[in-house]
Amino acid sequence: MIAARAMGGALLLAGLAAPWLASEYVLSVLIVSLWFAYVGQAWNIMMGFAGQLSLGHAMYVGLGAYAAAGLFVFTGIGPWLGAPLAVIVAVIAGAGIGWLGFRFQVKGVYFALLTIAFAEFTRILFDHITVLGGSGGLFLPVGQRSGVDLINLRGGPVMFYYVIFVMTVAITALSWALLRTRLGYQWQAIREDAEAAEAVGVPVFRTKLLAVMLSAGLTALGGVFFAFYYNTLFPEQIFAKSRSIEMILAPIIGGMGTVLGPLVGALLLTPLGELTMAVIAGLGVTNAGVRQVVFGVLLILVLWFLPQGVWPWLTQRWAKGRRQ
Amino acid sequence: MGRISTVSRRRLVQTAALGAVTAAVPLRYGRSQARPSLKLGVLLPRTGILASQGTQCVRGYELAVAIAAEQGVTLEIMLADTESNVDTARARAERLVGEGAQMLSGAFDSGQTLAIAQVAEQRSIPFVINIAAAPQITDQGFKYVFRNFPKAGALITNGLTLMKDLFAATNTTPRTAVLMHSNDTFGLAQKQAIDALFPRLSMPFTFADSISYDPRARDLSVEVSKARAARPDLMVVVTRANDAILIVREMVRQRFDVMGLVSPGSPGMYDSQFVSTLGRFAEFAISNVPWVNPNTALAKQVAAAFAQRYPQENYDGNLFNMAFSLQAALVGVDAVRRAGSTAGPALAEALRATRIENHMMIGGPITFDATGQNDAIPSAAIQVREGRQRVILPAAAADAQPVFPVPGWTQRG
Repeated sequence: MIAARAMGGALLLAGLAAPWLASEYVLSVLIVSLWFAYVGQAWNIMMGFAGQLSLGHAMYVGLGAYAAAGLFVFTGIGPWLGAPLAVIVAVIAGAGIGWLGFRFQVKGVYFALLTIAFAEFTRILFDHITVLGGSGGLFLPVGQRSGVDLINLRGGPVMFYYVIFVMTVAITALSWALLRTRLGYQWQAIREDAEAAEAVGVPVFRTKLLAVMLSAGLTALGGVFFAFYYNTLFPEQIFAKSRSIEMILAPIIGGMGTVLGPLVGALLLTPLGELTMAVIAGLGVTNAGVRQVVFGVLLILVLWFLPQGVWPWLTQRWAKGRRQ
Repeated sequence: MGRISTVSRRRLVQTAALGAVTAAVPLRYGRSQARPSLKLGVLLPRTGILASQGTQCVRGYELAVAIAAEQGVTLEIMLADTESNVDTARARAERLVGEGAQMLSGAFDSGQTLAIAQVAEQRSIPFVINIAAAPQITDQGFKYVFRNFPKAGALITNGLTLMKDLFAATNTTPRTAVLMHSNDTFGLAQKQAIDALFPRLSMPFTFADSISYDPRARDLSVEVSKARAARPDLMVVVTRANDAILIVREMVRQRFDVMGLVSPGSPGMYDSQFVSTLGRFAEFAISNVPWVNPNTALAKQVAAAFAQRYPQENYDGNLFNMAFSLQAALVGVDAVRRAGSTAGPALAEALRATRIENHMMIGGPITFDATGQNDAIPSAAIQVREGRQRVILPAAAADAQPVFPVPGWTQRG
């Protein structure tokens, strides 16, 4: 607990000061890291807390992104009003998948396959929605980056940094609070043994469905940020299976089911990737793909030696140190 | 005790003046003799699904270094891999600018290009696009973004117009056609553009059918059978290399003869893989795309340099991506020579005034309009002839006469 508080406090302070200390490149890496931390937290609610594996979470990112971006492009309505629409669309989609899966007892990897199938179906569907650009992509008008227009999320990297920073802090606080509610305990009970949980009166179907809906809605907000930060949406990229995998790397490496795991994972992974690239370039290696190979080997090593994730290992080390 | 020397005020002023003059002379001399240089940050997909095309683009930038040196400019290429990913493209652009890139170039893909354009605009660093067709990129009002590549609509308009020119040149007019296109991002975008432009261009034929397919399919026999059932005079295809091979193989197997196989602006049939795999069945395939004018001095120079540097590589197969990349680098080189500075605003100002007469592509001089777009890039009709891509139209740049209608599959050597 003390370790978590200390780590949380340090991260909060460092996060607030970052734009004054970091170069624009480092700031862009931090924005990407925090985005992965945010969506990792959203995924962690479903898998880490409630034990329901989703390998198609890119679908909710895409739905949220397209809902808010479409509203902005065609009606001029900004992201703060687009965000509720994005959440509603994603929650409905999540509820549909959850209902199908849980109603028909689709469990484990089969449920994961169902989530992949829906993500792929949605990608192909958006390829053919010509009003949203279809496969040719949806482009948001890019405003002047010198000014800050928080209402329409048009501005420079510092503005986007603080937006994603606040979102990440908020979802981390929400995760912390949720774990201590009745619902949080019910999720954990289902994750450990769904049948036993049901036997003691936990409404499994409804509780699991709530986890999917909440996770979907929060992930959609990440999609809204993505749309307004990058300003381009292509179904092949936003709904890609590779994006779904990327999104879950941070909580897996950081520590699934923990509050700070996704955050620690994201803050390790993205900078580690950039650092690997810098080291390889420094060694004079220019061959494309070497970075990915080295990065992949590092990930395997982390998973091999720290199967529970980095954050649980850190807390164990901290506790051991205090005992000694 | 040592003697204390005194310096009068007049002596001090004289000495200082002399020093200033002697110091200034080499400075001025040095400045006039300094060779202009440009650090060009090149962002391309070198891994991921677009790696092959990105690698071909890299060759263009690499070849540009020697040509820039001949033009009196030291060109330093700073390569970054976008990993075929929008998120990475943006971070890499920030990194290159942080490392001292004075100009950016790339990025082959429209999504990645727009991500980089935002960084360029924010950091006041000019960005010269090599390949990216989405019109929105130069319709955003950017001041530092320049594109020497046609917009998607222009690509299809030019491609369809060249079909009419081909029919006129050969006195042969097909009445019906079938459109076969991949159902990926590129294929569907081209299909949409064809649907929008076809009625406006008064084309002499109608589409009897439009068939989409998965570009990752291993068998297109059903799709080709469907096309055959429509009994078209012409096959219009929007493909990548692998699916183009599958279509032709199936057409040969089904003895499905048409007047010709024409692409209105897609890759695939000018790819080296298409020619080497299909051999005589690749012959006479026509692609209407922006292309190199083989008669220009620069094109001949680049062909020789390519053969020397990449002896294992197929020149024609690299040409499209390589040429546009090389041109993008040379646009930057031209700008730095005229700007006399590598400051972003000065380079952008020089780029706006670009007028390059001697380049390697078919078409007029390279210039940019107020939006940073070069809207005067025509397409050429190229046809596979004896394993090479030969320009058949426009006549001014042609190095072969068009063959249309093409010989049937069984009539080829």
